[in-house]
Amino acid sequence: MPTDMLSTLTATPLFAVGLTLAAYLLGNLLFKRLRNPSWLPAILIAALLLAAALVAIGLPYSIYQQGASWLTILLGPATVALGMPLYQQLPRIRELWQPLTLCLPIAAALAACYAIGIAWLMGASPTILASLAAKSVTAPIAIGITEQLGGNVALLMGALLVTGVVTIPFVSVVARLLKINDERIIGFALGLNGHAIGTVRAFELSPTAGAFASLGMSLTGIFTALLLPLAWRLIGTVS
Amino acid sequence: MPALNGLLWLISYWLIGEVVIHFSGLPFSSGVVGMLLLCATLGVLGRVPSSLAAAAQPLIALLAMLIMPGVVGVFFILDELAGQWFAIIIALLLGTLLSVITTLWLLQRLIGRSDAH
Repeated sequence: MPTDMLSTLTATPLFAVGLTLAAYLLGNLLFKRLRNPSWLPAILIAALLLAAALVAIGLPYSIYQQGASWLTILLGPATVALGMPLYQQLPRIRELWQPLTLCLPIAAALAACYAIGIAWLMGASPTILASLAAKSVTAPIAIGITEQLGGNVALLMGALLVTGVVTIPFVSVVARLLKINDERIIGFALGLNGHAIGTVRAFELSPTAGAFASLGMSLTGIFTALLLPLAWRLIGTVS
Repeated sequence: MPALNGLLWLISYWLIGEVVIHFSGLPFSSGVVGMLLLCATLGVLGRVPSSLAAAAQPLIALLAMLIMPGVVGVFFILDELAGQWFAIIIALLLGTLLSVITTLWLLQRLIGRSDAH
C-alpha cells in the first residue's frame, strides 16, 4: 500500500479499531465454518489474520497497538465486570468449600510454579519467567499480573494460548487414566489450568462442567492475582 | 440507558481500585480489586441490578476481542526471543501436563472423600 495512503488511514485510531473488529468477526466466521475445532480457537484464527494483515499493508505493530489501545482500555471495566458471574457462583463455592479451599491454593500455585521452575532450570531469562508465571490465569487478569511482575505481555498471550489449547487433551487423557468421570472435577480442572479456553470446552461437555470450569477459572485468577505479585516481590528482595 | 448506568458502575469500581492500589502500595491490578469490590457489593445487595447486567454481559462477551491486540503482539517478538523458544515451549507443555495431573488427582481424593461421608 502507498505510504501516504497508509498514513492518511492511520491518522486516527479508527483504522486499528476497524481492523481488529474485522479480524475478530472473520476469525469467528472461519471458526464456525471449520466446525469449532478445539485445537484451533477462534481467537488464534483472528490473531493470525490480523498479524497477516499488518504485515501485508506494512503497518508497524507499535502504531497498530497505539490505535488499538482505544479498544484495550475497555479491559479494565471488563475485568471488573467478572465480579458479576463470580457473585452468581457463590452458592456453588459454599456447596463444596472444603475440598475447593484445600485444592485451589495448591493447584493454582503449582500451575505457576511448574512452568517457572522448568523454564528456570532450562536457563530462561527473568523477563521470560515473569511472562510465563500467569499462564493459567484468564487473560484480563493475567495482563495485570504480568505488568506487575515486569513480564512481556505479548509473550504472556502466546503462553496463554498454548496452555489453554493443550489443557483440553491433557485433561481428557489424564481423567481417563485416573478413571475420573465426575463432571465437576473435569470442569474445575479445565478452568483452573486452561482459563477461558478450557472453560469454553467444559461448556461443550455439559452445563455442570462449564459452571465448575468458570468457578475454577475465576478462583485461580483471584488467587494468583493476590498472591503471585506479593510472592514475586518477596523473592526479589531475598535474592 | 440502563447499560450506560451499568458502565458507569464498572468504570467507577475500576477507578476505586486504582485509588486503593495507589494508597495501599499493594501489587494488585485495579481490575482485580474492582472485581472483588463489585462481588462484595452484590453480596450486600443480594441481587444483580439489571443495569449492571446490561453493561457487564456484553463486555464479558467481548473479552476475546479486547485481548486480540495483545495476542497479535506475540508474532512480532518471535525474533527477539530466538534461542529461548525451546525452554518456553517445554515449560508450557510439561508444566501444564504436571499441573493437570496434580489438579485432577487432588480433586479426586478431596471430592471423592467428601462424597463418601
